[in-house]
Amino acid sequence: MIDILGLLWQGFQTAGTPINLLWALLGCTLGTAVGVLPGIGPATAVAMLLPITLKVEPTASMIFFAGIYYGAMYGGSTTSILLNTPGEAGSMVTALEGNKMAKNGRAGAALATAAIGSFVAGTIATVLVTLFAPLVAAYAVRLGPPEYFLLMLLAFCTVSAVLGKSTVRGLTSLFVGLAMGLVGLDQISGQARYTGGVPEFLDGLEVVLIAVGLFAVAEALYAVLYQGRTVETQNRLSRVHMTGTEWRRSWPAWLRATAIGFPFGCIPAGGSEIPTFLSYATEKKLSRHKEEFGTVGAIEGVAGPEAANNSAITATLIPLLTLGIPTSNTTAILLGAFQNYGIQPGPQLFEKNGALVWALIASLYIGNVMLLILNLPLVGLWVKLLKLPKAPLYAGILIFATVGVYGMRQSAFDLVLLYVIGVLGVVMRRFDFPTAPVVVGMILGPLAEAQLRNAMSIGEGKWTVFVERPMSLVLVVVVVAVLVLPRAAKLLRRRATA
Amino acid sequence: MASRGAETAVAAGVLALGGLLAAGAVGISGEAGYGGVGPNFLPWVVSASLLACGAFLLWEASSGGYRAMDEPEGAPRGHWTGFAWVSAGLLANAALLTTIGFVLSCGLCFALAVRGFKSSQGLPSGGVRGWIVALLTGIAIAAPVFWMFTQLLAINLPGLTSTGWL
Repeated sequence: MIDILGLLWQGFQTAGTPINLLWALLGCTLGTAVGVLPGIGPATAVAMLLPITLKVEPTASMIFFAGIYYGAMYGGSTTSILLNTPGEAGSMVTALEGNKMAKNGRAGAALATAAIGSFVAGTIATVLVTLFAPLVAAYAVRLGPPEYFLLMLLAFCTVSAVLGKSTVRGLTSLFVGLAMGLVGLDQISGQARYTGGVPEFLDGLEVVLIAVGLFAVAEALYAVLYQGRTVETQNRLSRVHMTGTEWRRSWPAWLRATAIGFPFGCIPAGGSEIPTFLSYATEKKLSRHKEEFGTVGAIEGVAGPEAANNSAITATLIPLLTLGIPTSNTTAILLGAFQNYGIQPGPQLFEKNGALVWALIASLYIGNVMLLILNLPLVGLWVKLLKLPKAPLYAGILIFATVGVYGMRQSAFDLVLLYVIGVLGVVMRRFDFPTAPVVVGMILGPLAEAQLRNAMSIGEGKWTVFVERPMSLVLVVVVVAVLVLPRAAKLLRRRATA
Repeated sequence: MASRGAETAVAAGVLALGGLLAAGAVGISGEAGYGGVGPNFLPWVVSASLLACGAFLLWEASSGGYRAMDEPEGAPRGHWTGFAWVSAGLLANAALLTTIGFVLSCGLCFALAVRGFKSSQGLPSGGVRGWIVALLTGIAIAAPVFWMFTQLLAINLPGLTSTGWL
């Protein structure tokens, strides 16, 4: 315990240097902006900025990226409350009540409870990360390749088969991602796979390219193809202020939602859709103002999901930092950033790169405070961003996409590939294929393959290695349960109603 | 609502990708050492799975359409003229970036993309003046980005000159 405080103190000293504070502020500002702007999210923003890892030192750039990750959550709520089109999945639920409140002239209160709730949840979740991450890391050191492989398998299953609406489309996305991860030199034998004689393919596909193509370019192409005539209505901003009653109704929702969101972020089943919906349902059930839900807008319905979102997002750092397992688009890209520095997140990270990790955690505390200031008094500034006309906005995003992808490998071939991936993204969006499994599969695929082959070597070629070790047996059971239980429950329910 | 034919085409695409991966997997050695799992193991798993997913999607498409679909966002029909403009912008950028430099190439991409978005929104293109304004706006966005990368971060981007300013 004392150790942790000492380490955290050192982290604050690293994160608190003027230059690192500047990076954090820059990240938070940029993050809020990309959160507010439609058509670009945290994963895209971090991906486009990945070339800076070539020059900027790791601590500074991780602080910067974390700021973007966090900032986008704050900014996203502004858009979903004020516009009738919710930005990303996590703020979809916020939009339900937030929009209703804004239509009834209470946009300010909705924005306030979202920002303060995000701050409360983000800070509590950061405290929990501070306390638990080292514990998990200490435990994870004992995991061997079989356990790691199963954990990754679990992440694959949840991200593709359990979270989405359609299992087959989720799995298709996952295997497309795994296929992308296969391109290049095999890590263990050094054999070239699927390079087709193109020298650019020997180094594999760049994460930046895939992420920027799937998100930014696809988003622009989709908008020009299908959304030219979509008219967005904007709600009027009122004074950002909460009354005493609104405070009293908000804070229990914040705390409950933090508790709901955190576990979902921790387990390799990331994504903030489930916790935000759960929190919304809980608040609706517990509220003494049920009549406000779906009519004039209930403040609990904004406070809860928004806090759950931030709590889950913060908690995703635990599997990322301690196990090296990303559970969302953005954490997958963050893993890519670590890899660019030759750092492999995992249990050893806390020992080998302790200074970096603790500075990163400390910067989360700092970032939350910065974001509260950036978002409450300055919200009027961000709202102006919503007025940007679509044409130059998307065209500008394409410039940033180009610089991000070209800057990484200096190859014009990559720009053609970027367009192809963009078209793929349009098809996926049109036919409702999820994109997160592609990115997670592509980044985690090669790691999982290496773990599988190491595990098989340990087991001397026998698959029984996965059930002979107690911990891996437990994980096998969990994987099976995750795959079977939701389906069994569905079947039972159907039988009960029939 | 996406048409049945398009869904079948997507399923066929997944099948084709699976087939392509299988064809590639044949050429990968299966030397497994004593682990029993070689470099061709995952390629086979992935291609077999994609073939299975593709077949399943094909069956869904032919028996009432993909299941559990959300109504796709936006217009039912694509605005292909706008799409062509934006595509032209992106591909021109890929073709010209190394010859005319980052700033000019991105300016051109920006102008073409703006033209595409305007046509999809049903706005007037603005004639020659519109093109010039868009081109200059694009250059005004690209130039600072270029300078940030070449001057501040010292990451090489292609320029028209080798000064690092244009």
